[in-house]
Amino acid sequence: MDTFVLIAITGIGLGALFFLVASGLSLIYGLMGVLNFAHGTFLTVGAFAGLWISTQVFTISNTWTFVGAMLFGGLAGGVFALLVERLVITRLYERHIEQALVTVGVALVVGAMLSGWFGNDPRLLPTPHWFINTVTIGKAFVPVDRFLYIGASLVLLIVLTSILRFTRIGLIIRAGVENRSMVGALGINVRLAFSAVFFLGGFAAGLGGVLVAAYQSGVTPLMSGSWLIYGFVVVVVGGMGSLGGSALAALLIGVVNQFTNYYFPGVGDFVIVFLLAAVLLTRPQGLLGKVGR
Amino acid sequence: MNAITLNNVDVYLSGSHVLQNVSFEVPSNKVTALLGRNGVGKTTTLRAIMGLIPSTGTISLFDKPIHGMPTYKIAHSGIGYVPEDREIFSTLSVAENLSLAVRDENPNYDLVYKLFPELLQRASQRAGTLSGGQQQMVAIARSLLNKNQIILIDEPTKGLAPKLVGEVAEALTHVANETTMLLVEQNLALVRSVAEHIIVMSQGSVVFQGDPSNLQNDEFVHSMLGVSGGLH
Amino acid sequence: MLRWKYSRPLLGILILILAIGPMLSFGMLKEPGIQQTLAVAFLYGALALTYDMLFGFTGLLSFGHALFFASGAYVTAILIDSYKWPWYIAIPTSIATSAILAVLVGSASLRTKGITFAMVTLAFGEAGHVVISRNFGNLTNGENGLPINADRVPGIFIGVINTKYLFWLALAVLIFVYAAIWWVTQSSAGRVFSALRDNEVRTSVLGLNPNRYKLLSFVIAGTLASVIGSAMLLVSGNAAPRYATADTTIALLLMVILGGSGTRWGAALGGILYSIASTRLQDLNQGKALASLPKIISGPLSEPAFILGLLFIFIVMFAPGGLSGAYYRIRLRFLQRKGEKTASIPV
Repeated sequence: MDTFVLIAITGIGLGALFFLVASGLSLIYGLMGVLNFAHGTFLTVGAFAGLWISTQVFTISNTWTFVGAMLFGGLAGGVFALLVERLVITRLYERHIEQALVTVGVALVVGAMLSGWFGNDPRLLPTPHWFINTVTIGKAFVPVDRFLYIGASLVLLIVLTSILRFTRIGLIIRAGVENRSMVGALGINVRLAFSAVFFLGGFAAGLGGVLVAAYQSGVTPLMSGSWLIYGFVVVVVGGMGSLGGSALAALLIGVVNQFTNYYFPGVGDFVIVFLLAAVLLTRPQGLLGKVGR
Repeated sequence: MNAITLNNVDVYLSGSHVLQNVSFEVPSNKVTALLGRNGVGKTTTLRAIMGLIPSTGTISLFDKPIHGMPTYKIAHSGIGYVPEDREIFSTLSVAENLSLAVRDENPNYDLVYKLFPELLQRASQRAGTLSGGQQQMVAIARSLLNKNQIILIDEPTKGLAPKLVGEVAEALTHVANETTMLLVEQNLALVRSVAEHIIVMSQGSVVFQGDPSNLQNDEFVHSMLGVSGGLH
Repeated sequence: MLRWKYSRPLLGILILILAIGPMLSFGMLKEPGIQQTLAVAFLYGALALTYDMLFGFTGLLSFGHALFFASGAYVTAILIDSYKWPWYIAIPTSIATSAILAVLVGSASLRTKGITFAMVTLAFGEAGHVVISRNFGNLTNGENGLPINADRVPGIFIGVINTKYLFWLALAVLIFVYAAIWWVTQSSAGRVFSALRDNEVRTSVLGLNPNRYKLLSFVIAGTLASVIGSAMLLVSGNAAPRYATADTTIALLLMVILGGSGTRWGAALGGILYSIASTRLQDLNQGKALASLPKIISGPLSEPAFILGLLFIFIVMFAPGGLSGAYYRIRLRFLQRKGEKTASIPV
């Protein structure tokens, strides 16, 4: 039972991190039809920004500096994403394949720049001392950082959902996911929504980057690789453009991955790929996706 | 004064020449019906006016060129658009569908709720769960909230039950008193009752512009629209 | 397409130089290091060609193409190393296995379209990479890769002194793949591929089953990729897990875009140049050329991905058609000046 609790919570924590990456991917795809290969870069940029402020600006390391690093990482990821959108993506308006290709290029170039400047060795991100503590649940000792990942994702899910549900820009984004050209025909400049979605997605990914760095205990230019692929998997399984679907799929995939890896070491990734194939072949629009897109 | 003027408009879609040298005027403060058989380019014409598809030539709204502007600016300059398949947002509520369309500071909700009281009762319902007729009401209502210079309406009675056709027609007649309208419609009875000017298209070109009284002439109707005129 | 009547003599001379160069110690071609680099480049050129048929000709954006390249290399290596099969049985078996794998993966993935197809193939490719790098069944030697057992390969492919034979092998594979792809894309099936890419609905209205043709393209490309994979095993002496990664497929995409998609020779050239560039640019890193520059500039410049990525972005945004597109534009202008009316840009 105690192992079960530990694995379950670790799985949920992992799922929370997946969600941070996937939420932006899902919104960006849902609204603009862009398969964003640069999304992993947003995560890496956020992690480096978090590292920078934690080591160069803050002289101590406690809960508040870590929260500061998270927010700063998110901001850096968001601003960077906005730049990518403005400078590159919008110039290829409506050309989806080219947009996907150009994001591949952005990922290569930025990854190479970071490698060139900082090398590929992991740099340790300072974390508050309580990170190594454990909490006892039943008989299980659960590392306390898991709860931070879960909490941060929950907060982000609530914030994003509120923005989507209660603000004008959120209304435009939701409408745009469904039918972009009609939003334009109502006299609304959809491109503002594009920028908003890129900023929000970049923010989530950047914040996720700081947490991933804490989880993997290190920041490197190569850190985003498998997270991006998992992000794609989560988005597809959950349904492109559906935030709730991404949250559900992230949870499912995190938990399935951890349990499989516990009982059959090394098989976790493999099972996820089969889960993806199974979902796509039986329900191509994803768990909560809409048909006809 | 003409509300909308098209001059030598051409449209190519995936290699075919869909609109060929289309020129016409839509007089202001009147209901103009754009007629023709299926597939002659009526919907394409409206989409070209809205800037939803690329076209060449010139299009102007009250002598102000709108051609080549992004769609949202075209709409902003005062055109309401009710597209062929309604294109309401099915995941949003009725109220959200309406509030999304609001551009003016004082949107005319009174008119909308007077014409379609049902929409008030169903404000929080998801628009995708509405009936076809109710969805059409949402689509028309969106164009009535703002003070538009002209409303483009594409086949508002398409696929509706006869009873609903009457309801929509009544609303349109009411709207017709308030604003300029360019209406694409197959229901000849409805066209006869509201149209004050007609434009007939055939195979991507305009073949007739003028007086709607021609629609009383069966031979005209038969040759222009390919339907028998027995709908009186 | 490159006009045959203009290019045939040129191509013939080029192949002749490449074929006899190593024998006559012709210039740089006598150095085993250069021969090795070129051999690898030829194979990537061939692999890019197979990807061009998928993406450029049929319009299938697959992110799992590397899977078949890797299976060609790994199945051959496993059969030779673990099961002690002779190479001349192992290689055809490996190719046949990869073809069956392509049929399976293709028929599953092709139930989806467009971007979803890209994602499913990405997932299958990753599954292949996971199988290889996790060393399931103790067959693949995990992250270290699987070196080929030198005793079981013809002696002429072993040792630095024999690098020229690897060079010829790679050249032969490139020519073979080029001919095969040329034949397929010129055939009636190949014309259906292009029709599918341009307008799938219209093609299916004509009564052709789009999925059957897409699967055909997928399987041919996958099978040819496994041929190249087996050749790569001999040339590099080792089956590496990175062959199966999404990064490899992304590199193929880059090669095809750099060279210009849908033109065959553009993709092959893109693959060859990309492969050479990524090796040579790496050497630049070790050299002193960049040492005098400040780190903020020299750092990124020492990464091949930086320059290739920038070039890639530039081409996608400003020069669609890549190298071959640029060539056709220049030629068109030249011919127009000469007054030749028939000049046109293909594709």
